[in-house]
Amino acid sequence: MNRVGFVYHPDYLLHAAPFEHPESPARLLAIVDHLASNGLAARMVSLSPGYPDESDILRVHDPDYLRKLEAACRRGDTTLDAEDTYLCRNSYTIALLSAGGAIAGAEAVATGSVRRAFCAVRPPGHHADRSTGMGFCLLNNVAIAARYLQARHGISRVFIVDWDVHHGNGTQAIFLEDPSVFFFSIHEHPSFLYPGTGRRWETGKGPGEGTTLNAPMSPGAGDEEYRMAFEQMLRPAVERFRPEIFLISAGFDAHGDDPLADIQVTAEGYRFMTRFVSELADRYCGGRIVSVLEGGYEISSLLSSVETHVQELLGP
Amino acid sequence: MFVVRRMKKHVVTISPSASLYEARECMRENSIHQLPVAGENGKLVGILSNRDIREATLPVALLRGATEEEAVDLLKNTRVEKVMTRKVVAATLTDTLEDAIVLLHDFRINALPVTDDQGRVAGIITRTDVLKAFIEALGVGEISSRLEVVVPDRPGALAKIVTTIKSFNVNITSILTTGHAESGKRAIFFRVATINVLPLKQAIQEAGFEILDPSCFHV
Repeated sequence: MNRVGFVYHPDYLLHAAPFEHPESPARLLAIVDHLASNGLAARMVSLSPGYPDESDILRVHDPDYLRKLEAACRRGDTTLDAEDTYLCRNSYTIALLSAGGAIAGAEAVATGSVRRAFCAVRPPGHHADRSTGMGFCLLNNVAIAARYLQARHGISRVFIVDWDVHHGNGTQAIFLEDPSVFFFSIHEHPSFLYPGTGRRWETGKGPGEGTTLNAPMSPGAGDEEYRMAFEQMLRPAVERFRPEIFLISAGFDAHGDDPLADIQVTAEGYRFMTRFVSELADRYCGGRIVSVLEGGYEISSLLSSVETHVQELLGP
Repeated sequence: MFVVRRMKKHVVTISPSASLYEARECMRENSIHQLPVAGENGKLVGILSNRDIREATLPVALLRGATEEEAVDLLKNTRVEKVMTRKVVAATLTDTLEDAIVLLHDFRINALPVTDDQGRVAGIITRTDVLKAFIEALGVGEISSRLEVVVPDRPGALAKIVTTIKSFNVNITSILTTGHAESGKRAIFFRVATINVLPLKQAIQEAGFEILDPSCFHV
């Protein structure tokens, strides 16, 4: 069994919408309860997130954006854009703590105190780009963790696997021209699902050409299509890139029961994907994986998928 | 959606008395495949494509033992007006993008010179320019979600849906409507600036419309 860190903080529940919203504290609370009651939490090492230094955030985000976000929360604004990306007075602080959660997981894996980490954080991050929060996301947790690993731990090549059902447009934009961070995203095809990016010919730009890879899936696609994409696209990309660590943008909304999308992955599909990345990590980078929660809005399928995910991070 | 908004205003033209050799060099330098031919006062008198030039050199190129110099000589000694197309399909400054699309399609051409009311060359619009306009009109690549609704083909349906979308405080970034397989019905495609389309879909269904679920298209 691998030593797996589990990042969580009860304050993550303080970011809450003033109206009904799918990205709710209840999601995270259900995950924590579930992992406690099925014994998986006890098999992990509890890690406590801290507030990151502003410099850790500024490697990814524009200072003007941070000020704007902070001011909007202080003013009591209820949304950042339409009604997707809601705000409450705590949101800026909790977004920092959420990024701090991804950093805590990355720190523990980088120092070797654990082999892998699962960061049960919110708000999610992968739609946020340098200067715009959107799609429920305020700060890009995974991007911040990637930059942290490079700056503080001398890691040069980071591989991000984003299997949230929505394309990780923010993460892609942040690393589009950067050859040191490989961004692989598998998601429902952009003609059908938000955010409408992540077509197969989006492969990076300038020096980063070739280190972005998108696998758009047709509505109705499921475990078998995902398996094919992992075998045919992800594996060769990893073999070429030779990463030193994996980050996973772990959204569980590709599950067939999730109401936000049209993909039919099962909890066993998430088991397969986790095992696939784990085997690649074991072969190429000492098993190092930092998994960071993104979406997943239907509680029962979220729990069964997180369960198979964590089981596979732990391994036999 | 007007040609004048989408055309290239800096047009490279060539004189009818120029040689094909000059025309070829001009195309190469500017990476273009067709040259409007402008006569006196910049009036459009013809169009020359790189294919016209290629065909003009065929008689020499096919000769046994012909040399590159002979082909160049031929190009240098042939004037543009001799091989250009005189009946030019052109758009005018007041034409719409729809006019341009139909012309490009019906005449199977790649570029339309655009003329002003004096018949002078004022711009050029290509298939690529038109496609780009439609990529933008369709909202491709804009941060948004797809929403597809089937409505009875009678006035007022769209208004009802738009009002419903407005009640969610969500921006519409594109609307497109086409006929539907079922007669008496139309399909309307929206792109809406939200990740959370489910409540919108439910409200539109409650208003009595049919939502086309993307999973229905899965083959």
